[in-house]
Amino acid sequence: MRILTVDDSRTILAMLHHTLTNAGFEVLQAENGQIGLDVLKNEEVDVVITDINMPVMDGIEFIRQVRATGKHQSLPILILTTETSQDKRDQGRAAGGTGWIVKPFDPEKLISVINKVVH
Amino acid sequence: MSDLDEFKATYFDECSELLLELEEQFMAIQDGDRDADRLNAVFRAIHSIKGGGGAFGFDALVRFAHSFETLLDYVRDGRVELTEEVVVLCIRSVDLVADFVNAARTGEVLPAEYGATEKASFDALARGEAAETGGDAPGATDDLDEEFDIDFTPVSVDLDTDTPLSAAAPSAGGATRWLIDFAPYPTLYERANDPLLLFRELALLGRTTVTAKLEALPDLAGFDPFGVYCSWSIELASDKASEDAIREVFEFVDGDCAIAVTRLEALVEDEPASGDDLPSFAELAEAAKAERKFVPTGEPDAEPAVRIAPAISLAASAPAPGAAAESAGAAPRDAEDGTGAGKVPGMQSIRVDLDKVDRVVNMVGELVITQSMLTQQMDDAIRDRYQELVRGIEVLAQTTRGLQDAVMAIRAQPVKSVFSRLPRLVRELAGKTGKKIRLETIGENTEIDKTVIEQLSDPLTHMVRNSADHGIETSEERLARGKPETGTIRLSAEQAGGNILIVVEDDGQGIDRDRVLDLARERGVVGPDQQLTDEQIDNLIFAPGFSTASEVSDISGRGVGMDVVLSNIKKIGGSVHVRSWTGKGTRMTLRLPLTLAVLDVMLVRVAGSPYVVPLSSIVETIQNSRADFGHMPSGGKVLQVRGEYVQVVDLARRFELGSEQDDADRFVVLCEAEGNSKIALVVDDIIGQQQVVIKSLEENFERIDGIAGGTILGDGNVALIVDVQSLKTSNAHQNAA
Repeated sequence: MRILTVDDSRTILAMLHHTLTNAGFEVLQAENGQIGLDVLKNEEVDVVITDINMPVMDGIEFIRQVRATGKHQSLPILILTTETSQDKRDQGRAAGGTGWIVKPFDPEKLISVINKVVH
Repeated sequence: MSDLDEFKATYFDECSELLLELEEQFMAIQDGDRDADRLNAVFRAIHSIKGGGGAFGFDALVRFAHSFETLLDYVRDGRVELTEEVVVLCIRSVDLVADFVNAARTGEVLPAEYGATEKASFDALARGEAAETGGDAPGATDDLDEEFDIDFTPVSVDLDTDTPLSAAAPSAGGATRWLIDFAPYPTLYERANDPLLLFRELALLGRTTVTAKLEALPDLAGFDPFGVYCSWSIELASDKASEDAIREVFEFVDGDCAIAVTRLEALVEDEPASGDDLPSFAELAEAAKAERKFVPTGEPDAEPAVRIAPAISLAASAPAPGAAAESAGAAPRDAEDGTGAGKVPGMQSIRVDLDKVDRVVNMVGELVITQSMLTQQMDDAIRDRYQELVRGIEVLAQTTRGLQDAVMAIRAQPVKSVFSRLPRLVRELAGKTGKKIRLETIGENTEIDKTVIEQLSDPLTHMVRNSADHGIETSEERLARGKPETGTIRLSAEQAGGNILIVVEDDGQGIDRDRVLDLARERGVVGPDQQLTDEQIDNLIFAPGFSTASEVSDISGRGVGMDVVLSNIKKIGGSVHVRSWTGKGTRMTLRLPLTLAVLDVMLVRVAGSPYVVPLSSIVETIQNSRADFGHMPSGGKVLQVRGEYVQVVDLARRFELGSEQDDADRFVVLCEAEGNSKIALVVDDIIGQQQVVIKSLEENFERIDGIAGGTILGDGNVALIVDVQSLKTSNAHQNAA
């Protein structure tokens, strides 16, 4: 199972990488939405986990563009954010986000949320 | 290092970068640039610092950052106006965030009220505006805190929830039955949610029986392949599920489906729910099939053909209903596969451990040596006989040089990383001295070797301090002299040949030469009758322990500033020069090597062995026969050169290699050490100039006084690098003793 993680924070990327690889996932990383789109062009992934606040291309636009790509209409996308203000989360969902993960996450919770959205 | 420590290290690393960025962005904002990108960037930076801090439980930091972030969020969407006052508060708060980060790193516990004033200001500002727009002002602070708490509420199915909240508690050990009616909307599928996964999740709570309701399925003619016609009713028997737990399963599809959860009566028979009892998806499908009421009206054989054809035409002509709504929203539909590729910026980078780069640098160094060794071995006879080989070696030489440049470029970094710390320093200094100072930076993208950059921070700080403290006058003085009220310090970097020039220039009062000279005489740095040029006097400020401030200020310190500059710069093979114009300003120029690994040297011979002297420290070379030696009463020897007496060190004697007699064929190498002091080295012969790769003596052998390191020459011999500064210092001690 491959997971694309998109976040501009190296710390978060490193922690996701650690947690997910320990759980047996293969992890791809991107520093912003634009790079995330590039990765998706060339790589097949099973789940995407993305931050919202990022430079160059934020998570909302990223999700929107992923969904606009025919082959990714059923790709689960989890929004990763500390943003509890409902509007950010709703924006992410309106753009096509499947679910969300609240930072800071503990490893078990993270895996259980991923299991919620993949076969 | 544990994983956690490693993450923390990454986090603190990242924080430093983010703080630097915050600093930069706010400076621009203060200068009136209210670009949305900047406001977003500062918000993101604080957001990231908070996010990472939360992961490690740095609560004080997170609390402060949270309030800060909220304010910035309001600022960027215009709810709070970015007044000068707010900007100042933000800049001060960046410093506080830095303190919090630092405390988190060192484990220091900051007082509880630390940053409380600023935090209160954030909250008040956020609240003040909220009152105008939202009208729920009184509770605003609480809302913030609440929201903050929610940040850390885990999102997951709580498997330990005992009894249902409903009044009718089940009998002990009895399972409760729930009926869940679930009808997805198209948006559920558009967001890549899948009912099957929800059923699987639900099955974790207990035993489920899923029934598909297909009444809504239209006739084939009216069938939209993207339409949603199926809904389900699920019966859940569980002794641990609560309505909350059930609703939590559907959390991600809230609003994307119609859902009703009804509690049925307790089961008479106690059926323990366990994972083994879960129906497989095959069973679920079977169950769905069995329940299926819909029978296609057409002939079974014809069905596939009929079903596929309209599906294709429909897909081609009409987009999914949700997608159509979306395109009306914001995202242009043409931003698909093809066009996206053209917009991708070509900035791709990887992070590489510095150790790995250094290993490459060292190996390239070896390669340079081997290559020059090969070149040296080629005499005319070989050249004539093996022309192909010679050509090959020439190409090798070229490629090696190219490789060396390329590798050095990897280590190169823009000086921006050092320059960007200085605006804050100037701001602080201006605040402390009450002067008005503006800092200009030019050429921040000039690249220098990373090691040089690291060594540059202290000297530059001292130089800028010196300009702000001693150079720039107070506003009154400046106005009285007909100068603009605000003083300017200009910081520039440029590449000049194999060097980087960094210039710190100010339009202040210039160096007070009379006072400098008086002080230098008073302190014995300059002899009573010694005549110095203006330039020589100016450069006295780099003499150890020299301070020209009439009062010792807490800014430039106690005269440890400028000599530190010189020693740091010399350490990395650079030099400092100062020029001053009375009443008009001072210019300090740092000349730095582009790279540290390769050194330009003069190769000399001492007692039959090769030694190298860094070219940057050599003033001139003189034949012994033409040198004007004098003897000191103590027995030491001095060289008289242009009215100056310079200590003489015979390297053969100094390194105890058997002292040779003074000989007219020998040479004197006049070198400049720190603080403009000179030393004359006597060597047997001068061989020539070349580039060498520096090898550490301490790493490979041990420290030797008077030797800065070693190098391997083209012929494979080892040559030691003469440490001019330590020779000068130890010689002074010997003379004093």
